[in-house]
Parts: sequence; structure tokens; C-alpha cells
Amino acid sequence: MNASVASRTLRTLAAWVVVGLFFFPIYYWTSVAFKYGNDIFSRPPNLFHFTPTFDNFQKVFGISLGRGGVTVTPGGGNFFMAPRLWDSIVVATLSTLVAIVIATLAAYALSRMNFRGRHQFVNWVLSTRMMPPVAVAVPMFFIYKGFGLLDTFTGMVLIHALMNLPLAVLLMKSFFDDIPAEIDESAIVDGASRFTIFRRIVLPMAKGGIAATAVLCFIFSWTEFLFALTLTTTGLKTVPVVSSTFVTSIGTAWGNMAALGAASIIPAFIFILLVQKHLVRGLTMGSLKQ
Amino acid sequence: MKDSMRKAYLASVTDRFVKGQMDRRSFLRAAGKLGLGAGALGMGLGARPFWTMSQAQAQDQELKPNADVMKWLADVGKPFAGTTLKLATESTPPSNAIATQLKQYFEEASGIKIEIEVLPLEQVLQKLTLDVASSLGTYDLYYIDQSWAANFSQDVFDPREQLKNADLAMPNYNIDDFLKPLVDGIAMYKDTMVGVPYDIPIFIMQYRKDIWDELKLPTPTTMEDLLNASKAITDAKGPNVYGTSGQMKSGHYSLECDWTAWLWGHGGSIFDKDGKFCGNDERGLEAMAYWDKLKATMPPGVNGWTWDGEGQSVAQGVAASMLSWGEFFPFFDDPKASKVSGLMEAIVPPKPTTTLRTVQETAFGEIPGVGHQGGSSLAVSKYSKAPDAAWIFMQWATSADTQALITVLGGGTGPTRTSVYDDPRVKANARVGAGTTRHLPVVRETIANYMGSEPDLPAWAEISSDTIPVALGKYFAGQSGSAKDTMDALKSQVDEIVAKG
Amino acid sequence: MTVAQVRRMSVSDSPIPWLLPLVALLLVFTVYPLFYNIWLSFHEYVPRRRALEYVGLSNWQQLWEDARFWQSLTITFVYFAVALVIELVLGMAIALLLDSDGFGFGFLRGLLTMTLVIPPAIAGMMYLLMEDPQFGVISYFLQWTGLLDPAHPILATASTALAGVLLPEIWQWTPFMVLIFLAGLRALPREPYEAAMIDGASQWQVFRRITLPMMSKVIAIAVLIRGIDLFRVFDYVFVMTSGGPGTSTYTLSLYAWQQTFSFVKWGYGATLSLVTLAIILAVASLFIKVAKVRW
Repeated sequence: MNASVASRTLRTLAAWVVVGLFFFPIYYWTSVAFKYGNDIFSRPPNLFHFTPTFDNFQKVFGISLGRGGVTVTPGGGNFFMAPRLWDSIVVATLSTLVAIVIATLAAYALSRMNFRGRHQFVNWVLSTRMMPPVAVAVPMFFIYKGFGLLDTFTGMVLIHALMNLPLAVLLMKSFFDDIPAEIDESAIVDGASRFTIFRRIVLPMAKGGIAATAVLCFIFSWTEFLFALTLTTTGLKTVPVVSSTFVTSIGTAWGNMAALGAASIIPAFIFILLVQKHLVRGLTMGSLKQ
Repeated sequence: MKDSMRKAYLASVTDRFVKGQMDRRSFLRAAGKLGLGAGALGMGLGARPFWTMSQAQAQDQELKPNADVMKWLADVGKPFAGTTLKLATESTPPSNAIATQLKQYFEEASGIKIEIEVLPLEQVLQKLTLDVASSLGTYDLYYIDQSWAANFSQDVFDPREQLKNADLAMPNYNIDDFLKPLVDGIAMYKDTMVGVPYDIPIFIMQYRKDIWDELKLPTPTTMEDLLNASKAITDAKGPNVYGTSGQMKSGHYSLECDWTAWLWGHGGSIFDKDGKFCGNDERGLEAMAYWDKLKATMPPGVNGWTWDGEGQSVAQGVAASMLSWGEFFPFFDDPKASKVSGLMEAIVPPKPTTTLRTVQETAFGEIPGVGHQGGSSLAVSKYSKAPDAAWIFMQWATSADTQALITVLGGGTGPTRTSVYDDPRVKANARVGAGTTRHLPVVRETIANYMGSEPDLPAWAEISSDTIPVALGKYFAGQSGSAKDTMDALKSQVDEIVAKG
Repeated sequence: MTVAQVRRMSVSDSPIPWLLPLVALLLVFTVYPLFYNIWLSFHEYVPRRRALEYVGLSNWQQLWEDARFWQSLTITFVYFAVALVIELVLGMAIALLLDSDGFGFGFLRGLLTMTLVIPPAIAGMMYLLMEDPQFGVISYFLQWTGLLDPAHPILATASTALAGVLLPEIWQWTPFMVLIFLAGLRALPREPYEAAMIDGASQWQVFRRITLPMMSKVIAIAVLIRGIDLFRVFDYVFVMTSGGPGTSTYTLSLYAWQQTFSFVKWGYGATLSLVTLAIILAVASLFIKVAKVRW
């Protein structure tokens, strides 16, 4: 009994240490958001003893305290970044939706229907993710400009959904594979159509898988950089692109960048928390098929 | 009140106003009491009937654009109301000042909307290249770094031509007001004017007067002074404080900028008059030897720093001097961002060791000078769908009034117009503190007498941001033998690229 | 025919309507860029004449002779291999560690996934700051423990620069692997484990002979998805080292981007991209064959 208590405590300790190590950079980055320039650059590095300030947040999000001041500092200034957070949220959410819908339909067929060339088809879907981003961004720029999709929400949602499709299809297919096909078969025997089976029986069982896939699609869209840079100008901008605004000709406004970065972790994290419930429940169902 | 006291008081009043500790009315009242009427508050710059204002008006005037300018905008902008213009620019102080503070005035008065996309320099180039190659007119105005002028000269309008259109011309725009060396160094390419000079980061010598005084070192007016002083400081105070700093990140444009300062400073040049690379000649190698010695006195981090890291090293008191962009100076004076507020002095770059080569002895318009300049111009795109509206904005953005406001609001950056250096609003900020302009006389002198400009040729973007810094980076990382070997190898690379054309 | 077979046939089972939206989107948005790049690789942009000119095979020839290309290839491969192995092993280890319903483990799992939410470009900046030779936390710590020489900044020394760039990579993406592996672990059936316990097998044996084989499909997916992305790595290098010092962190994607945008050599940039695509395709296909992955 003692041995297992010891090993359990050891395991818990190890888990906390490991996760703590991974979390440290995030703590550090968030602390930078609350520091003055002098504290960000101190030697030895200042982890805990610094004068906290809301300055950076004020500058980045324009939450001015009615100072009436007219100082513009390099890279900072009264950049109104809140709309950019919103842009990112909209693009990520909608593109995830589109990707999930299309991918789930396709993945179901790939899982249940054994047609000739299925293996090659999945390989082909996977291969669409293999182009280096720059090779896709340039021709996309021209297409988008031609179709008036440049700098629009529709355009960004489309490209991000597209970017996530291969991953979504692959993941959803494996989750569908985990749900025994016998369930489908017995429903067919009862006379139900494919789509009804899909909608009423299989889909609810795959909720966990959908949640997991949605989380990953959201994250990839939220953090994507090159397409967001190339395919937008001033109409909308996502957080990763707009963060580079703080790299100025006089140096990087680290405090401001960290403020934006810290604030932008929150929406994404909320999304994860929301789906977390379904994640765990759904993923423990079924057994892994060979 | 004694004149010096008056100046000191005005300086402190201005400082408090700029920091937001005093509202505009009180500021103007205080300034008025100091005998500064409308004339000094920038509305009447000598004999300029267009812009004089009465005392009463000045009292109620906020620190915003001249009312006559606004009126002109309203008149000329009427037919274009509702147009939206787009500009992609680097995050430099003028662009930031316009984007966050001043563009509202422009938009209100003229009815023309301007959307400014602020990006790091490489991404601006990316957007520009895409736009120009596709002639799609995504952007109406271009921010053109001087090293790109050759590439984009055919894609923008020559402002001298644009000025001929009397209907759109801004009264008293005064294109001759732009400092001539800047026009030549930034905006001219083969007799075409590629927009007007917009910002002017330029190398000046910035050093810690307190440390120099403490160790009784002579002011660094020559290369040798600098080296000796730096060595003395590093010996005495290292590794806490080093004598000088550098922006020597391998593969980055900043390394090339540093190289040119020392190269030109030893009488060398990048190209000879036949257009062949000559950084490996005798003077070039002297420069490298000097640089090696100087580098030994720099903090070890210089290998990984661009001007960003270099600036930080000085601001945090790790390095006691730097020969780099004057735009950093106000940053050093900001007590919230740096530890050396009030301790820095600015002087012109160290004198070269021998006579500089002239522009006739180099190629592609290269002008040797220790004060390396990295300015940019603002120009209207030929592919723009609203070139007239864009031209109106461009004039406003580069007018003397706007520039003065930018300099005051934008943290003491270098103006490109002569008159702005003399503007009382700008002069009033020449005190210690954030947004100082006390280094501007040095900047002005450097521009006039010590400026160095890079060559202008289409392949220069590649050579300056890749070929040269990669080769130099390898050298400093100990990967490519002696300085002579490195320079010789570099010569064949550069000559090959130039030949390909 | 059995009754079941007859009944199965009576349900129209065409996969086409299910796959149509997917195929339509993928065709439009990936086939065009592919053909565009192929066409582009036979041309080059001449800035002086503002036009693309046909140059035949010269881009391909240049590629073959380009030392910088081969070097980028090697660097990308090294980056790919090191990152993949570490992320797999570490990911699996941490997934096993965190696969427990004990108190606080759910919270820990959530906390770990926070690293994924940060854009790689920002993560690169974070680590740039932390690895700063003068002011960075990581540099300071390493110098303090004597592992790092202050005269050799991490990102400015050729031998350690790649390691410096791999840090944010591993930090961010190991949790990704953990997420996928956790999902797989939680779906494993209990029976084999119960049987093994009765037989008295050791932890390691259980892992090697039961867990690992049953997780093989999940591992394969993780390897493919992450592997492909590793080959195309761009953000970290772009932000942290711009390919330096010298050319020691020059990855293929960075090289292609630079040629396309910084030097306006569209044709050559397209050629580089196509070669990258071909290599990824080859490696992935090889893996699918060898690992006997069957969709």
C-alpha cells in the first residue's frame, strides 16, 4: 500500500513539475505584459520583483484613463487592438464550423463505404497539406483579388477552413472508425437511410471526436500567419499578423506585444474550456480498432 | 524673467503637457505668459502670410493642424469625398503618429478616408512587391525604403510632375524645403524623384557623457578616439558595462549598415567607379581590422542583435555608446523605458581616418559618409485607382505643419524638412525626457555634412539584406577564414549578382 | 447471398454526395496553386521589364547546382528528425504521465494545451526574448549553470542556433502530441491490461506489447500531421534568426519565401516550393508504406 501511495504522489509531483515547466514561458510572457521597459530588460532577469503597470494594456487596447495625453511612443501608441481580437475570433470560429461540417460528411463516407481507391483518396487529401505556405499564398492572392475575396471575412474563413480540411478529415475518420460499423448495419436492417443513421446515431456518438477536431481546427486558424498576412490589407487583421506591428524601426515594443499576446490567449482558452467536457466524455467511448 | 530661466520653464511646461500631466488650455496659457504668442506656437513661421494667425486664435488652438491647412483640405478634397486610400508602411514614428493621432484631422477635413497598414519592414516589401508585380493597385501610396528606390522608381509618380497640377497643389508645399542631401540620397534615382523623403533614421554618435567624464576620456570625434575610449571603458567596467555596441546579427540588414559605417569611415567604398565590389581593397581591410578590434570591446550579444538589441543594450546601461540610428535617442531619454535618461549625449559621427571617396569614385550613386542613412520616401502608386486623392494625402502628410506635429508627438524623430528643424514647437522639446528633440541639431548637421548613402541598383535589396550580411555573419562566427578571404569571396558573389543584372 | 447482403445492397451507398463538397473545395484551392507553381517554375520575373519571361529548365538547373538549396535541405531534415523524435517520445511519456483521473490532472491537462494557443510567430518572439544573451531568462539560467558560454549567444552561434530555434518548436508541439496520444490512450480497452496484470507483466512490457501496438494508428496520424508541418517550418526561423547565423538555420520554406518576396525571383521560389512538396510527398508515402498504414 505504501509503495503505491508513494508512486502515486511521485507521479502527481512529476506531473506538476512537467506542466509547470511548460507553463513557465507563458507566465514569463504575461509578466512582460505588465512590466515597464526597464524591468523587461534587467540582468539578472526579473521574474517576480518588478513594478507592475497597466501601461501596455492601455496602449494596446486604448483603455485610456482620460489622461488627454498626446504622446506617441514607438510601436505602441493608442492602437485600438480590440477589433483585431474580434476578427480573429470570428474567422477561427466560422472556419472551424465550415471545416467540421465538410470534413465530418466526408469522413463518414470514408469510414463506412469501402470503395475502390479509398486508400489513395485519403492519401490525396493528406497531400493537399504538403505545399509550403508561400507557394499557396501567392496564387491565392491573385484568385482572391480577382473574385473580390481579398480582405474579406468570407475569404479568410474559406482559406482557413481549407487549410484545416485534411487534418479534420483524417481525425474524424479515425474517430468514426472507432465506432463499430455494426451499429450502422443494424439500423440499416431497420430500414433507415444512410443520412439518418449518420445524423441520429453515429454523429452523437462521435461528439467527443468532433470536439477534439474542432479544438485543433480553431487553434490552427487562430495562430495562422502567412495567409492572414497575404490575403488581408486593412479590412480585417488577425492577432498573429497584427502582433508584428510592434516590431518597429526603433525596436520591438515587447511590453505591448506581450499585452496583446496575453490578452489573446483568453478567447482561445475559453473555447477549449467550453469543449473540454465533451472532449473527455467522447474520447473514452469505444475501443481502438486495428 | 531671464532668458535661460524662461527657456527652462518653457521646457518643463512643454514636458508636462506632452506627458499628459497638463491640459491644452493651461499649456497655452502658460506658454502665452512666457511671451510666446501665435508666432512661436508654430502658426506663423516668419513671413508666411498663408499661415499667420492672431494671438486670440492661438490661445484657443489645440496642438493640432493649422486651420488654413485644414481649410485647403476641405476645398480640394470635396470632389474626392468618400474615397478610401490604402498605405502599407513600416512602423516608424511618422507613420505611427499619423495613424494614431493625426489622420483623424485629415479625414474630417477632407472627407477622404485613409487606412494605414503598419508592418515590419520585410512584410512591407512583400506587400509592395506583390502589388507592383500584379499592378492591382491594392495600395494607393507606397512607403519606399531608400534601398528599394531603384526597384520601384517606375511604379510611382514623380512629385515634381504632380506639383504641376495647380488644382491639387498645396499652397506653400515648398518642395525645396526638403533637405537636399536627403532628396539625393533617398528619393532620387537616375533623375527620377521617387516620392519625397518621409523619414530619416541616420547614424549619429550617441554616448554616455557621464561615463566619458568619469573616466576622463576625450569626446569620441575620431575613429581612434572611439576605439581607445571603448577599450578603456570595457577594461575598467566590463563585463557589467562595455564601451560600445553593435547591430551585427548574421544575415540581417543591420549588419550591413554597421559595416558601411566603418568601411566608409576608413575611406573605403562598396563599389568602385567601374561598378565592381571593392570592399576587399586596402581600405576595406583596414576597416575590417578596426572593426575586429572594436568588436572585442562590445558585449558578446552583438552577434545576435539588430538595432533593436543594440538600442536596448545602451538603454539598459550595458553598453556606453553606439553609432546608430538617431531615432533611438528620445527612447534613451525616456525614464520609463531606459535606465540612462538624461545621461546620453549626441554628436556627429566620428571623423573618417582619411578622405572619403566621392560619388564620382564609386558607382550606382553610392555616397560614402559615416552617417549611414536609412530613410524612406512616400510616393503615390501609378496603379492607384485614386491617384489624385492619394496625392492630396501625400502632400498633407509631408507638409511642414504635419511634420512639425509628428516630430513633437512622435518622440523627436528626425524631420526631413529644413523649416521643421527651426519650428519653435520642435525646439521647445529640446529637453531631457521622453520625446526629446535635443539631438536634432546633430541630426541636421550629420545630414548636411556627414551623410552616407547606399548605392541604388535593382539587385541591392538582395546584396544588402542577404549576400553581404550572410558573408559577414559567417566571418564573425569564425566560419570563413580571414577578413581578406571573406571579402574576396564576397567580391566574387556580389560581382556575379550585379552582372546578372 | 445472405439476407444481410441483400438488405445492404438496397441502401444506396454512393460516397459521392458525401465527398463532393470536400473534393470541390480541395480541387479549386489546391490544384490551381499546384499548376500555377509548375508553370511559374519555368519562368522568371524580370524586374526591369516587369514581366515573367520563359526560361525553360534554368530554374531547375540552378536548383540542382545551388549549394544553399542542398544546405537548406539538410537543415530542414535535421530539424524535422530531431523535433519529431523528441516530440513523439516526450509526448508519449507525458501523455502516460497525465493519463489519470487523479485530483488536478484534468486541470494540468488543460494547462498544458495552453502552449498551442499561442501563434508560432509570437512563440518565436517569446523565445527570442528569453534567449537574448544579455537579458534572456534561458540564457541567464544556462550561463549560471555553466552550460552556456556568455561569449557564444545561443542564436548567434552556428552550432547552437538550430537548438535555439527548436526550443519553441518542442515547447509548443509536444502538448499537441500529448493531446492526440491522450485521446488514443483513453479509448484503449481494459481487457488486455487486466490480463497482463494477472500474468504479472512489468510496466515497460505492458507498454511495449500492449499500449504501443494498440496506439499505432494514432501514432501514425500524429507522425504524419506533425511531420508534414515540420518540413514546412517557417514561423520560428523567420522570426528568430532569419536563417542565420550564416546559413545554419535556413529551412526550405524560409528560402522559398525569401526568393519569392525579398528578391522577387518568383520562378525560383516556385521551383523551391515544388521540390519541397515533392520531398514531403516522397517521405510521407514511404512512411505510409513502411508503417503499413491502411486508411
